Amino acid sequence: MDDRSTDSDPVTAGESSILDTLGEDVIRIVSPVSLCMLLVVLLVSSVSSTNDLSSSISSLFLSSTTTPTSFSSLNLLLLGSDSTWEEIKSALVTALSFVVVVTLLTFLLVLLFYFRCTNFLRIYMGISSLFVLSFLGGFISLLLISHFKIPIDPFTFAILLFNLSVVGVFAVFMPKFPISMNQGYLVAIGVLTAYWFTMLPEWTTWALLIAMSLYDLAAVLLPIGPLRLLVELAMSRNEEIPALVYEARPVDPQPGDRVRVWRERTDVRIEATENSTNSATVQTVQETRLAVSEEITAPLIEAFPQTGDRHLGTEEEEDGIGLGSSGAIKLGLGDFIFYSVLVGRAAMYDYMTVYACYLAIMAGLGVTLLLLAVYRKALPALPVSIMLGVVFYLLTRVLLEVFVVQCSSNLLMF
Amino acid sequence: MEGRDDQPTADVESGARLRPSAVRSRGAVTWPSVDGPLGVSWEEAETSARRFFFWGFAFLPLLWAVNCFYFWPVLVSKASPSSSPHFNRIRSYVVWSSIGFVIFAVLLTAWALTFAIGGEHLFGPMWKDLVMYNLADKLQLTGLM
Repeated sequence: MDDRSTDSDPVTAGESSILDTLGEDVIRIVSPVSLCMLLVVLLVSSVSSTNDLSSSISSLFLSSTTTPTSFSSLNLLLLGSDSTWEEIKSALVTALSFVVVVTLLTFLLVLLFYFRCTNFLRIYMGISSLFVLSFLGGFISLLLISHFKIPIDPFTFAILLFNLSVVGVFAVFMPKFPISMNQGYLVAIGVLTAYWFTMLPEWTTWALLIAMSLYDLAAVLLPIGPLRLLVELAMSRNEEIPALVYEARPVDPQPGDRVRVWRERTDVRIEATENSTNSATVQTVQETRLAVSEEITAPLIEAFPQTGDRHLGTEEEEDGIGLGSSGAIKLGLGDFIFYSVLVGRAAMYDYMTVYACYLAIMAGLGVTLLLLAVYRKALPALPVSIMLGVVFYLLTRVLLEVFVVQCSSNLLMF
Repeated sequence: MEGRDDQPTADVESGARLRPSAVRSRGAVTWPSVDGPLGVSWEEAETSARRFFFWGFAFLPLLWAVNCFYFWPVLVSKASPSSSPHFNRIRSYVVWSSIGFVIFAVLLTAWALTFAIGGEHLFGPMWKDLVMYNLADKLQLTGLM
């Protein structure tokens, strides 16, 4: 098993400190994030989807429904030629409108939660995740099938897809389900959404990442931020917010705790968290789809709680990451998605950027956990990691690659 | 930490791996589900097992598999005098679910392998129209998103 003694100093008898379980806690949140990123990188590199301007415009004219990139390509068409400056402008417009839509939808969520429409929210999120798992999952598996020429027949495909998506919805929203399946399906939803996001044009993706991390920072830390309001509402009522949050198993259920330490909200001392509804973020995803169709945009919007806000404390672990002695770490699914989008986009350039961005994101995650331990309040998980990731991506692409290529071509190193 | 080793069933760190021995003590099963102390209680377990079993008939054999996986400790252990009264009922649901899932899996695998391996020899030119990647191209399914 694990030897905690390496993690901590010897504690006095009967007293357990956070240090004893911190290593295991961190591993239990780093593994699914890494797995999600790995899967997105594998998907991106195996199925090279060319969603550049030309293909998106052609699909705009050929198919009756518009593609997700059509909004940005439409922007480009309106703005004129696709020079770099025009691309940047359209990317900024897209990202800003995305953030605006997310803000509005999060405020709507706060309002609905305030008026106790929790059932409606849960049903809505169930439908959204069903949509993501079936349509997006079906689409991506069709891409894989076409790419690898897997000889599957439509009957088997339909049965498998139907089963996997319906069971996935149950796994994510029903409380009495195997924990490993719940976690696995959350990671799967993260992978699917992140892959879909990487199909956006390049400048738009980067602008979106930066805009969302700034939004996350504002929404969680400002007093008027919607996510902060949501967290405070949920805390004051001691209620669960319907949301998609990844919750790691608690490392050490205390002997005196109740039986159900995972996903149980009735005991204040125990995490009771898991149901932090970090809705929002996904709403941004929907931004580009708003132009497409209502049913596509709406569902995904609420489905993914974005606020990677974390919460430290044994008493009020409501949202995000709780590092209490009886708590489990929770991380909003939006964080999974945006980390994986960054790494996936880096994979579209070269594997060197992937490694650099992965290390940057993990470092950012570590810094956020550290800040969480220091400040003991809800913190956004996106800003530090995304900013570090973007900086390292630029540095690698601009400086490191040139260096490595020159060394390799002159047979000096690497 | 001192208290940790005293719990025979609190093996939650490796909860993801199936450790039926971890949820068993002195021959009887302590926790009905594979999640151990984090999972359901015996009463809820019976409701869950029944629900999974009946919902599985709605073309969802994967729910039967989930049923077997979730109540694995019940499936692999025998009834003993010290086990809960719900044990037998849960076990019957789980056993029937496993039978259903195995039958379904065998049928589906047989069909899928026939389709994949038989290919054009068996089905003729119709195979090309039926196989998924051609069908997806024809129906422009990958262009929708």
